[in-house]
Amino acid sequence: MNKKTIATLVGSLLGAAVLAAPAHAQNVKIGLLGGISGPIAAMAPSMLDAARLAIAQVNEQGGILKGGKLEAVVGDSACNPQNATDAATKAVNIDRVIATVGPHCSGAVLAAANSVTVPAGVLMVTPSGTSPEITKLNDKDLVFRTVSSDDYQGRALARTLKARGINKVAVAYLNNDYGKGLAESFKAEFEAGGGTIAGYSGHEDGKASYRSDLAQLARGGADTLVIFDYGDGTGLTILRQALENNFFKTFIGADGMKSEAIIRSLGEKNLTTFFSSAPVGEASASLDAFRKAFSASGGNPDAIFTTTSYDAAFLVALAIEKAGGDKAKLSEALRSVASAPGEPILPGEWAKAKKLIAEGKDIDYKGAAGDHEFDKAGDVPGQYAFFKVSGSTYEAIADMK
Amino acid sequence: MDIIGLANYAVFMAILIGIYALLALGLNIQWGFSGLFNAGIAGFFAIGAYTSAILTSLPAAHRLGGFELPLLLGWAGAMVVAAAIAWPIGKICLRFRSDYLAIATIGVAEIIRLVIRTEGWLTGGVRGITGVPRPFGDLPYMQSQLAYLALVVVLVLAAYLLVERQLKAPWGRMMRAIRDNENAAAAMGKRVAERRLQAFVFGSALMGLAGALFVHFNRSITPEAIDPMIATFLIWIMLILGGSGNNRGAILGAAVIWIIWSVSEILTDRLPTEIAIQAKYVRVFIIGLTLQLVLRFRPEGILPERQHGTSPPRS
Repeated sequence: MNKKTIATLVGSLLGAAVLAAPAHAQNVKIGLLGGISGPIAAMAPSMLDAARLAIAQVNEQGGILKGGKLEAVVGDSACNPQNATDAATKAVNIDRVIATVGPHCSGAVLAAANSVTVPAGVLMVTPSGTSPEITKLNDKDLVFRTVSSDDYQGRALARTLKARGINKVAVAYLNNDYGKGLAESFKAEFEAGGGTIAGYSGHEDGKASYRSDLAQLARGGADTLVIFDYGDGTGLTILRQALENNFFKTFIGADGMKSEAIIRSLGEKNLTTFFSSAPVGEASASLDAFRKAFSASGGNPDAIFTTTSYDAAFLVALAIEKAGGDKAKLSEALRSVASAPGEPILPGEWAKAKKLIAEGKDIDYKGAAGDHEFDKAGDVPGQYAFFKVSGSTYEAIADMK
Repeated sequence: MDIIGLANYAVFMAILIGIYALLALGLNIQWGFSGLFNAGIAGFFAIGAYTSAILTSLPAAHRLGGFELPLLLGWAGAMVVAAAIAWPIGKICLRFRSDYLAIATIGVAEIIRLVIRTEGWLTGGVRGITGVPRPFGDLPYMQSQLAYLALVVVLVLAAYLLVERQLKAPWGRMMRAIRDNENAAAAMGKRVAERRLQAFVFGSALMGLAGALFVHFNRSITPEAIDPMIATFLIWIMLILGGSGNNRGAILGAAVIWIIWSVSEILTDRLPTEIAIQAKYVRVFIIGLTLQLVLRFRPEGILPERQHGTSPPRS
């Protein structure tokens, strides 16, 4: 035991030596916790870049509070609870952040919120934790998200298919929190509306062939296959094998399937019966503003969850400005700057927002990923559209209700 | 410098070190003293975590649970169930030679992980279990962390003393005899298969307890926590570095590796922001490098196994 204590002390001293540099009093730090290593390593860098863009804009346009800079502390939550709690503890206690953007994965969000940020009274906004379990957190109003719960999209997609006259489908979902969450809410809503689920099965990631799974699903007699998976991963394999073997006629995907990798690999002419749902910003001016700024800074605005990451960071900055840097007032301030009524603020309009806040006027941030009117649990309702393939990209054909 | 922040961070690290120390002690019984190559630590860790979560959590519609049993029963249950699942696995797999045993246990851990992911009625599936109670969880942040640390320290200490006592007893000598020369031990009338099974079950029960401590600390568990990197291989590195066959070495190894793993991120954060993302991988590299250096220059670990009595050194 002695050795453990000594080792812990040595660790703390090491940390102290490294951190002895003085901090600027007026600067404000926020934590960017992301799954840098681990299963979403390919997605995390773009998401972090988008959040950093928001921070750069804040600092270019007058900084935060009284001329301070907004500083980002990047932590690796690695998509697992062990590393997420470790990264959150460091951000909260060593770097003294007053809010975090992220972690990215739902399990990491649950663990970090439960054992670190909520007890410490730190605001958390996740741009990509989509599990319905996050809604149920006992979070003292400190956990928010700029991405909607999987529940919303699954239900909206079920209603849209019914409205388009599709009454019998088979469902193939990737067996993780994303795929399964979508599939469950889709199934509940579709069956409640009188539809028939003729086949329903989960599959594991990364197998070479899904023909037997598809044959099993097709046996139920449905013409339409709903795929809850990622279009640059297993979802592409499933779609290709379903097309090659003519198992189904129509294919429906959710936002993860709206990938240009599918069009590049399978070709537009083979995809006339492929549709997908995806979130859209209602005020497209917001989305354009973000796309332009992010492209100019060298990012790819089509990368998944970049809009939600940007919005999360920008909203946190607005909330800090509104609360005057007071940690205890942050969640109330976040609700105030995100919700109507108020003067609309688009992505990048930091100087304007700062001036309005200084004048005591109410503002309403219209984000790249949506309006972000938070409900009681800190969730946002999704705004989704139904897309078809057009040329080398996707085109929205209908709003989803 | 902010002393309270540092103290909070140190307390958090100590809690995780305690949990990893239990895992390393469990592995030490299996590998250090009995020569059983268990590469499926994550599986038993997960069984403990989920058992305690199911026994003590609030009711939920979509999964088994809602027994709301007292915490101690949850922890005892975690050990019992981990041991009960280890028994048939050991019964079948322990006949293999050590390298085959390693492959078999990797497979077993993967089976456990997939069962947890897919059997939603039992474990909540990929969404996991939330609403697990945490002892002293209603206290303010720092007090609650300190209280949990005290619990973890008491349990690690108890486990250390009990394991140490067991290994000084005739049972421990017998286990080392079986490990070092199976045929000789068998010739002296020791029931090799039975003893190995005992060691496997004991070690797995301790791993189950570590899982239970982990789930109550985080108040939630999802299958992402059963990643073999963080829940199997990291523990092997801890034991090899600390010194397999030495319980203090196991605990020390857990502390050293976790501190390197966690503190190195603070160091790499001082690098320019342009390479911050790449720099996150440096710590994985540092852990690998540490292991290489230890294996090259001190293969017996920091605290090597103590030689008992007058027996000649192991070759």
